[in-house]
Amino acid sequence: MMTEQRSDTSFRGLGWACSGVLTRRDAENLRRFNVVTLAWAMMFVASTLAIVRFGAKGLTGWALATATLLLGVVAMALYVKFLRAADELLRKIHVEALGLGFGASIVFMLFWRLCERLGAPKLDVVDPVLVMVLFWAAGQYIGLRRYRGESGE
Amino acid sequence: MKNRLRVLRAERDWSQADLADRVDVSRQTINAIETGKYDPSLPLAFALARVFGLAIETIFDPGFEADEETRVANA
Repeated sequence: MMTEQRSDTSFRGLGWACSGVLTRRDAENLRRFNVVTLAWAMMFVASTLAIVRFGAKGLTGWALATATLLLGVVAMALYVKFLRAADELLRKIHVEALGLGFGASIVFMLFWRLCERLGAPKLDVVDPVLVMVLFWAAGQYIGLRRYRGESGE
Repeated sequence: MKNRLRVLRAERDWSQADLADRVDVSRQTINAIETGKYDPSLPLAFALARVFGLAIETIFDPGFEADEETRVANA
């Protein structure tokens, strides 16, 4: 009789959507990426506040901007490392999600450019990035659903 | 691509997680292969064949022979 046991490599720490999806190696790489990405996002908010609200210009402002950039580059490198080492199905899910996010942001950007000429409000530079992130996340959810086991065995 | 992973695993009394551990992939990958939702890479197919001690073509069936039979029958 086949039994389902907790695997040494299958990680179940992220809820039903990720049940059995992450190996321990992937979970560790993803954790590192998430920590640095969170630090980058917090640094971005802190730098923006310091520059806009508290007038941190000159050397301090440039130092904050550079630190934010460096954290972003580290996060990017960690994501590439995660993808390269990832379980092949997980990599496929992420690559498809990246394609969806990239494509959606380009299509949205060009569509809105037409809308602007028809009188719609001007697009902020961050808006396509938000579309990209939203569709990237949606793509991961769709991929996890598509390849999810039905039997749970 | 059809495969005999589920049968071979059952013969050895292995869970999907057991097999996943042996070939260093996630349980979901094994499940997706068994249900035909995902075709493994060549390295993973070789790893699975090595774990079961069988040739790749005895585990995975690309359906070429059936296609050929159909083609001959229709000719």
